Amino acid sequence: MAPRIGIVGAGHCRFGNSSEYDLVDVIAYSANAAFRDAGGLNLRKEVDQVFVANMAGGLFNRETAVASALVSRMDMEPVPAELIENGPASGASAVKMGYMAIASGLADVVLVAAGEVMRSVTGWEATDIVATMSHKEAEYNMGLTLPGFAGMFTRLYMKKYGLTERDLALVAVKDHDNGAKNIYAHVQIPVTIDAIADGPNASVVNNYVAEPLRMYSTCPITDGSAAVILVNMDSPKAKLFKKKPIRIAGIASATDTHCVHNRRDPLVLDAVRLSAEKAYKMAGVGPKDISFAELHDAFVIFELLISEEVGFFERGKSFLAVRNHETDINGRLPINTSGGLKAKGHPVGATGVSQIFELVRQLRGEAEEGRQVKDPKYGMAVNFGGFGNNVVTTILAKE
Amino acid sequence: MIDFSVYGDQALHINAFRCEKCGTLYYPAPMVCRKCDSIRDPTTNKGWEESPLEGPCTLLTWTRVWNLPEGFNKKFLMFGMVEFENGLRASGRIEVEGDPEIGMRLTAKAVEADERPGPPVKVFVFS
Amino acid sequence: MFEENSMAIDELEKKLRPPEVQLAPYPSKVITLASGELMVVRECRREDTPALLGTVYPLLGVAKDYYDVVAARMYNEILSWYRYRIANMFTLVGTINGEIAGIVTSRHVDPKLGMSLHTLTIKRGLRVGAQLFAAKMEHHIEYLKEEEVWIVAESPIGFKRWMIEYELEDRSSGFPAVRHELGGVPTYALTRRLWDAVKAIKCTGTRPVSPELLKTADRLVMPNEYVQLPGWKRNG
Repeated sequence: MAPRIGIVGAGHCRFGNSSEYDLVDVIAYSANAAFRDAGGLNLRKEVDQVFVANMAGGLFNRETAVASALVSRMDMEPVPAELIENGPASGASAVKMGYMAIASGLADVVLVAAGEVMRSVTGWEATDIVATMSHKEAEYNMGLTLPGFAGMFTRLYMKKYGLTERDLALVAVKDHDNGAKNIYAHVQIPVTIDAIADGPNASVVNNYVAEPLRMYSTCPITDGSAAVILVNMDSPKAKLFKKKPIRIAGIASATDTHCVHNRRDPLVLDAVRLSAEKAYKMAGVGPKDISFAELHDAFVIFELLISEEVGFFERGKSFLAVRNHETDINGRLPINTSGGLKAKGHPVGATGVSQIFELVRQLRGEAEEGRQVKDPKYGMAVNFGGFGNNVVTTILAKE
Repeated sequence: MIDFSVYGDQALHINAFRCEKCGTLYYPAPMVCRKCDSIRDPTTNKGWEESPLEGPCTLLTWTRVWNLPEGFNKKFLMFGMVEFENGLRASGRIEVEGDPEIGMRLTAKAVEADERPGPPVKVFVFS
Repeated sequence: MFEENSMAIDELEKKLRPPEVQLAPYPSKVITLASGELMVVRECRREDTPALLGTVYPLLGVAKDYYDVVAARMYNEILSWYRYRIANMFTLVGTINGEIAGIVTSRHVDPKLGMSLHTLTIKRGLRVGAQLFAAKMEHHIEYLKEEEVWIVAESPIGFKRWMIEYELEDRSSGFPAVRHELGGVPTYALTRRLWDAVKAIKCTGTRPVSPELLKTADRLVMPNEYVQLPGWKRNG
């Protein structure tokens, strides 16, 4: 029988502009914070395996084999260490690898550290680097970028279901409201619906990025890192950690076609649904049991789409729930309590671990005042790799 | 003997691939046929027939992108996804006056683009 | 304390002052920034000089993002304008609750030509710089009725952004006959045609500004703290 696996340490840095610092230092910063949270840096020697998540250190920073570098930076040799790259799902995939290492019996304590420093290059270069996850001949060469795909997707959804630009702005207002209270968020400025949608200056202040998506429907380019420490809760080593573990109840992933134009249905994210179904089954819960969720909103449309695919809302109806404030921090089902990728930021390789860090904080009751979910039991995180063609769903439970 | 025809004017095409064993059409080219498990060897393409993907198509969705990647020093570019009469779909650039409309009929052709470093690449233009 | 120059305007001083044209005034406007804060954009007057110089001064030591050279040059421009040693310059300021959020400087060269000088953003994260740059171009083309504005920038990234977003015309082939006053470098131009193509998506603002709101921008307030200067406080 697989052991119970939980998170006993979590660390995070302030997301924003870390371009003056070295990538490995940025990742180590959060790893150190995770150990401090877990009980102390002396716990480094208990780690059996390290996974580092990073998407494009070779392109952004001219640094590769980052896991090997981190181990040395943290003075943790000779611990085994591997780099996990799964596009913007690198983070959650690295946690999944950590889970698998413990479940297989190869490790009892795993450090998962994730980071990305994107602002070492210009915005145009960063957009280009992120676009390399698409199909080289059929998409990347065309000049298509992730915002471009998201714009096309959003247009189709609007046509089919009646979503408006104002609905997207409502989601952004909620995200920024949460982000303003999150000490780690990149953008800590709340925005108003009048300013970004209703008011006379809104169309310029909230300019188009990839029509019909506007600036406040897309995440910023962000640097940052996050780290978690996983433990076999049934092993003697679990007693070394001071905080009660937050259990990984379910973790699963699935893939879909590489080319966005070859999806079964252009408005359906099969990989989200399949990974969520597997995670629910593993955890023995369903959508109604989830207390709150971090959904990969690199573009605000994704928060809506994912919430439907994982079963929170009927297809085409999620934005109605936003209009009714159901996903606000005090709503029936708070979504992106951290501010989401929209306000918290999206250092691509780090995001998956950052989402899980937020789940841990909420389930422990450690979130800042004004954005603590009331008595949460299960938290869900959905981390996208590519444009929804590689998705990892994680469900954490408060024991 | 040298094949001198390679120095002539080469018409630009982006190709669809057909599995000769079961007839299934693909774009872009796979490495395995999902219907009959035939393998594609990219060094020979034996067992796979290539044909230009071009001509009439229907616009499925589109966007106007204002933040372009490095090398594309333009205010904006329009992109879209189309479906061809043979059922294949593709993504590419749109060149029309004003705003495109979902469902409009366009014509696809391949052109060369060289915004990025390295040799020029083939891109779809739907107009 | 900053005092008016008490020197009598004698023949020599007249020679040192550039001949001035009475520029059409910039009509104030208000922009609702994404945070919901209202930014009043108005033209500066001589009595604003102390607050403007005091706002720019602390940034002279910030090398990051070219703040130091922009601040040094803008300090020079504003002081020179006050001392009547630069012709036909105008300064626009963006204020939020009276506090300076950004400053832009520019010069009217002749009826057909404007020379964009500098854009300094104090309050970051709300595209204040982009709004004020657009306001500056608005003044050149719409109110001063110039045909084109020459533009360069200290920051390569900032300049590239303007080049792409405004589709500036490359006049560098005209160098050295065509050279920007700042550093005498080959220059790019925003023409009336290019401005007309982008003004709807770049330039916004509501006019007229209500008297109550305008009053808040009457006496400029220097920021007490700067994101660009962590830990620094103006008042202790």
